[in-house]
Amino acid sequence: MLDFTLVQKYIPFLIKASWVTLEISILSILIGLILGLVIVLMKISSIKPLSLFADFYIWVLRGTPMLVQLFLVYFGLPQLGIELSPFLASLIALGMNAGAYMAEIFRGGIQSIPKGQMEAALSLGMDYPTIMRRIILPQAFRVSIPGIGNESITLLKDSSLASLVTVSELMMTSQRFASSNYAFIEFYITAAIFYLIMTTLLTFVLRRIESKLAVAD
Amino acid sequence: MIQNPIITMENVHKSYGDLEVLKGIDLQVYPGEVISLIGSSGSGKSTLLRCLNHLEKISKGTIIIDGIHLDESSRHINQIRREVGMVFQQFNLFPHMTVLQNVMEAPIRVLKRDRSDVKKQALTLLKKVGLQDKAEVYPKKLSGGQQQRVAIARALAMNPKIMLFDEPTSALDPELVNEVLLVMKELVAEGMTMLVVTHEMSFARDASDRVIYMSNGIIEETGSPDEIFHHPKSQKLKNFLVSIK
Ligand SMILES: Nc1ncnc2c1ncn2[C@@H]1O[C@H](COP(=O)(O)OP(=O)(O)O)[C@@H](O)[C@H]1O
Ligand SMILES: [Mg+2]
Repeated sequence: MLDFTLVQKYIPFLIKASWVTLEISILSILIGLILGLVIVLMKISSIKPLSLFADFYIWVLRGTPMLVQLFLVYFGLPQLGIELSPFLASLIALGMNAGAYMAEIFRGGIQSIPKGQMEAALSLGMDYPTIMRRIILPQAFRVSIPGIGNESITLLKDSSLASLVTVSELMMTSQRFASSNYAFIEFYITAAIFYLIMTTLLTFVLRRIESKLAVAD
Repeated sequence: MIQNPIITMENVHKSYGDLEVLKGIDLQVYPGEVISLIGSSGSGKSTLLRCLNHLEKISKGTIIIDGIHLDESSRHINQIRREVGMVFQQFNLFPHMTVLQNVMEAPIRVLKRDRSDVKKQALTLLKKVGLQDKAEVYPKKLSGGQQQRVAIARALAMNPKIMLFDEPTSALDPELVNEVLLVMKELVAEGMTMLVVTHEMSFARDASDRVIYMSNGIIEETGSPDEIFHHPKSQKLKNFLVSIK
């Protein structure tokens, strides 16, 4: 028999665990955005080693499972003398992975900006860094928002992988209660609902940002 | 009084791969001169203009603008770009900035001028092109003619010595062409040095000191508007004039 009343007294713990999930997600989105920006600037730079490095980075991080990346960071690095907390290891793995996807999203955004924008800015005497910062990237960023939104939602869901390196986020916590109560369906459905609420909220926030920026053009 | 040319092009060549687009351009432009460039599509008019502010790199030859040698030195390139304004067929306004921000951007970022001074000048320029009431509007809300007038104001905000126009009215609905031509004629009256690629033969005839007819990457014929339009010498120019009638 299914007994959802069982879940009730665990709700505060699940809420607390959801905060951890949100923390990991939002921080790794931010890391991903910054890293993505750095990678895309390397990728489009005329300095060959930089753009080759960017290609390599994107190729490896998009072409291998996130779980492998996470295990390499959490279990692998200690072998080299670098011990990381489960939380930090998850942040690094998720953030680096997101960086590759964000870089590709930004690249699409930058490519969608008409050539005339660059030419107009050059003709006004602006230098490359200024043009990037003031003209190209702000426009490219707007174009990239839907992609950033998708990637953020993916990341929020993928943060459940952190449970595999013992971070007490929503998945880990649900798992613990599910097995101790032998109530898998109840706790996993509850976890699913919590994830759904978070992804819905995130979608909502992203929509708001998008429409706010859209007013300008 | 004999003046030095403000623009000197000597034997300028430009190729894209195997395609030679400019085949030895010699041209001198004197301060205050207004030159119209005419010629059929693909003859190299845009390329000539774009070489002057190094949007295209020339393959061979010499360009000197206001005494500055346009070579590979990025300092020289930037110096020249500050002195040479350009207006494009597609306006190329910055869509994420208001009209006023569009005009203020380069003087602030490039010349590092004081913001309030720049704003004052920008508003004066917008008034001059008849758009002072659009200062806070985004480009998307403007007609093509209005956008092009903003683009002219944006270029003028750098206080250029030379203005390049690449078919500034070609993307406009016919009824919007005149408002842009009027602004350009005002610049002519103020003594601005201008190179204008145009299909508006009325502008070439009435507003320019000299007309250059380009064909196939060379300057085929050059002369006063009267010489070019009423006494064309080469058969090519005669054919061209018939074709645009
Ligand atoms: N970036 C480019 N790459 C290759 N060919 C080009 C490029 N830009 C222009 N061309 C070619 O150069 C020739 C001259 O072009 P253009 O200067 O734009 O002529 P116009 O402005 O007189 O129409 C054309 O044949 C055009 O196809
Ligand atoms: Mg052209």
